[in-house]
Amino acid sequence: MVFEGCPGSHTLDLREKETRETTPTEKVRSQLRQWPIQLHLISPTAPYYQGADVLLTADCVAYALGNFHTDYLKGKSIAIACPKLDEGQDVYVEKIKSWLEDAKINTLSVLIMQVPCCMGLVNLAQQAAERSKRKVPIKSIIVGIQGDILSEEWV
Amino acid sequence: MDEYLNMEVKEVISKFPEAARVLDEYNIGCTVCNAGSCLLKDIVEIHSLSSDEEQELMAKLARVVYPGRDVKVLEVGRKPKAKPERVKYSPPLKKLVDEHLLIKRWIALIPKLAESLDVNTEEGRQLVLQGVDFIRTYADRYHHAKEEEVLFKYFDENLEILKTMHADHEKARSHVRSILQAVEEKNGEAVKEHLNAYRELLTEHIKKEDEILYPWMDRGLSLTQVGELFSRFNELEEQFQTVPEKYEEFIRKLEEKFR
Ligand SMILES: [Fe+2]
Ligand SMILES: [Fe+2]
Repeated sequence: MVFEGCPGSHTLDLREKETRETTPTEKVRSQLRQWPIQLHLISPTAPYYQGADVLLTADCVAYALGNFHTDYLKGKSIAIACPKLDEGQDVYVEKIKSWLEDAKINTLSVLIMQVPCCMGLVNLAQQAAERSKRKVPIKSIIVGIQGDILSEEWV
Repeated sequence: MDEYLNMEVKEVISKFPEAARVLDEYNIGCTVCNAGSCLLKDIVEIHSLSSDEEQELMAKLARVVYPGRDVKVLEVGRKPKAKPERVKYSPPLKKLVDEHLLIKRWIALIPKLAESLDVNTEEGRQLVLQGVDFIRTYADRYHHAKEEEVLFKYFDENLEILKTMHADHEKARSHVRSILQAVEEKNGEAVKEHLNAYRELLTEHIKKEDEILYPWMDRGLSLTQVGELFSRFNELEEQFQTVPEKYEEFIRKLEEKFR
């Protein structure tokens, strides 16, 4: 396969697998316990971030990951962002830093897609951690385009 | 086989010395463990073997225990482990592994310290007392306290592996008491004996923690627990303030002295 241009926007046709998988007989309950969720819109010191295990998720992840609600979102607080398209990412770094220092979050899990540009979100988290006086364990989880977990490791 | 699964591993090995070789094949280093009080069945779980490997190991052990009986050995085409994979520890356990590095640097200095030891001079005695201060403050109060008072509490403390770790810590403390007593009595031989015993004990203890205990714990800790542990370790570190720097400096100077 020859990739041309940005691998992050390279076209892949995955329709083949769409009906192969089973449809759950029970309705999957949403595990979202907050609003808003977009990183520009949230307040890092909102009560649901205090001492929480926080997910920082690239926009595309929840669409790729079949069991996002039950396997990752459950019991956690969240913010979403796109490291490739969003503007004002300095504000993002400040907000993540405020999670660490002011909301005293317990852990930060950064969920990103496998495309290279998505690593930018992990970098933002690392920049914030470097500037923060308080540290927390940060985990980076890379999700494949087919919804598989490619890696899960401590940063 | 069940009767042996509930037996302490050192008992199994003393009954069937061949079992030690089988365990070694799987990098399960119980043969050299000074406690050996883990139950055989727990060992399999603690060393994170795949289920195929576990079946294969059990079949091989069964052959050793019941020679002559027809026991099927499941072959999984296991490659001999060239070197153990690099373990990626969670951030709180990584802190402990990093602290082991300084303790290992101290341990590496013990032979030279013992060799040049003279308890009849004030200077010689002071040197031993400084070493004891490192053990008591850094290795014990700073490091072992994180293990005993925080980390181990997340697990069932009746587990043999944790009892073994506690027992090692206690043994180390008793060597320290013996060293102090020997210094007071100006008994150079006894100082050396207990310093070396401490060195052997801690070398093996740290290896067990780095290679077996911590990876096993990491597999059992939830994300939330990892975060909690990390911040509790940070709180403890704040209480100790400059202790790590002070003792790192002590070790560095000692290394220079014995270079
Ligand atoms: Fe220990
Ligand atoms: Fe330790």
